[in-house]
Amino acid sequence: MAATLLLSVDIGSTYTKGGLFRLEGEELRPAGREVVPTTVDDLGLGFDRVRAAVLARHAGGADASAVPVYWSSSARGGLKIAAVGLTPDLTLSVARMAATSAGGKVVRAYSYELAAEDLADLRTVDPDIILITGGTDGGNSRVVLHNAARLAGLASPAVILYAGNRKVRDQVVEILEGREVATAANVMPEVGTIDIEPARDVIRRVFLERIVDGKGLSRVVAASGRDPLPTPLAVFELVRAIGERVPGWEDFAVIDMGGATTDFYSHTKAFHGGDAVILRGLVEPTLKRTVEGDLGLRVSAEALYKSEAAFLDGRLRAAGTDPSALRTYVEDVSRRTDYLPQDEPGRGFDRLLAAACVRAASLRHAGILQRVFTPQGGFLVQRGKDLRQVRRLVGSGGYLAAAAGPDLLLEACAPGADDPDTRHLVPDAPACYADAGYLLPLLGNLAADFPAAAARAAVAGLKPLTANKD
Amino acid sequence: MGAPRIVLGVIGADCHSVGNKILDAYFTEAGFHVVNLGVMVSQDEFLDAAVESDAGAILVSSLYGHGLIDCEGLRQKAVERGLDRVLLYVGGNLVVGKTPFDEIERKFKAMGFDRVFGPQVDLAEVAGLLRRDLESRAN
Repeated sequence: MAATLLLSVDIGSTYTKGGLFRLEGEELRPAGREVVPTTVDDLGLGFDRVRAAVLARHAGGADASAVPVYWSSSARGGLKIAAVGLTPDLTLSVARMAATSAGGKVVRAYSYELAAEDLADLRTVDPDIILITGGTDGGNSRVVLHNAARLAGLASPAVILYAGNRKVRDQVVEILEGREVATAANVMPEVGTIDIEPARDVIRRVFLERIVDGKGLSRVVAASGRDPLPTPLAVFELVRAIGERVPGWEDFAVIDMGGATTDFYSHTKAFHGGDAVILRGLVEPTLKRTVEGDLGLRVSAEALYKSEAAFLDGRLRAAGTDPSALRTYVEDVSRRTDYLPQDEPGRGFDRLLAAACVRAASLRHAGILQRVFTPQGGFLVQRGKDLRQVRRLVGSGGYLAAAAGPDLLLEACAPGADDPDTRHLVPDAPACYADAGYLLPLLGNLAADFPAAAARAAVAGLKPLTANKD
Repeated sequence: MGAPRIVLGVIGADCHSVGNKILDAYFTEAGFHVVNLGVMVSQDEFLDAAVESDAGAILVSSLYGHGLIDCEGLRQKAVERGLDRVLLYVGGNLVVGKTPFDEIERKFKAMGFDRVFGPQVDLAEVAGLLRRDLESRAN
């Protein structure tokens, strides 16, 4: 059987990457990649350039029309979502989960009734989607109706996605008449039951309509014959394909750290039970993504410096370094976001900031286990997701992809608490890998059509950072 | 209108799960829509569940004798959370020792519970009262 060539392109905010893959029977093999700067004003230009470069250098000048193109985009800062829920721990927390697993970034989160100042705030952040949730099916309808009425008067081009109490869905649509409205099944039809797939689907559709309408992307759609995926969603779907289809990779995690955010993806069962372990709160999904907007090496360096001050200070003191030097460095790089350190102190600071990102992203993604003493004896109470079975950990994104050893990724396993009765359920001692060839987003684009092949190719393309234990 | 919705759970650091499962099965069978939160349920978890599901009643179980401390303030919190009209039922081994039941009942009613039950109560009686109380609240 003749090999088929497939091209995958990811338009990032700084670089546009293109990778050629050869489909041989059941396998996908990388056949070369190119990178060009993203052309912010017309994203289609960068797309054309990277496609031409890949085809000329790796496909023997094959005609563009003969090579199918799959593509994703995170340019424009991705998809901005404002999440509205009823109670913070139930529907709002599920709404966040739906938004992040669809590849979006939660820019605002509100619980209970929206107030006038929330609306003013919404106008300022200008989200692409406002996701309204609240109430189980047949449950509370008063608050979602109130919020819908509020949003009906909001001057904003945002799509309003209603995924709350089904009982009043038609009423909500009526209230929002004249606005761009979409609906999906309730994200929490029963207390404790999570159903985010339908909302995720709608968010993806909205992404297409929104992202494609400007900056030259409609031309890319015409040229490629395909709609784009949001980059994080491409990775999310690849993580799913790997977890479900590659033996030995049922329990693994990916940390994607960049200048602005750190994304953490996990594929592992959230709760393993056991005699004396009681789960409180929502049962989290096997496949989960969290996005930390305050953890990043450049754009978010100031925010990181604030939220992880105790950790950063502790490390600097232990190393005998003056903490004020880091302060200066952070101020500097958060303004010069393309800065690459030229000397050892600078490289050391980047390493330290990266360690803080990895550690905090893991602690926030993971749940906790607390020993409680009751009249019936000692029990363990778990909240959130258990990552201790995660046997493999992959670093992606510029800095982690270039890692030479496992030390930085293993920061994800650092115990967080000093309380002896609280344990953070971070990974135990995973084997570490680097996505050195930036294959995850590129193969993620192919995962919808070739899930098994893309999953195997991704795993085969990772660079092991630890001696393999099995 | 559908089945009346009720929230069920064992409050505090109490892990007695058998009775909880029996109550869940019984009230479901009796035609209620049961949101069962299981054991070791905090006050906030009861209230969150009642808010989201618009439940008419919260049924709190306590079997380990610490019921008074665990239930203290639940009514006020419910009012603060907008659940002004929710029915609060409590039942089980509510206090340690041999306190007479009417004394226990008085204490829990003073805390804002609508009905108080001992460990030996007939569930058919509870279901009947619950139905009646829910109907009178609805009017």
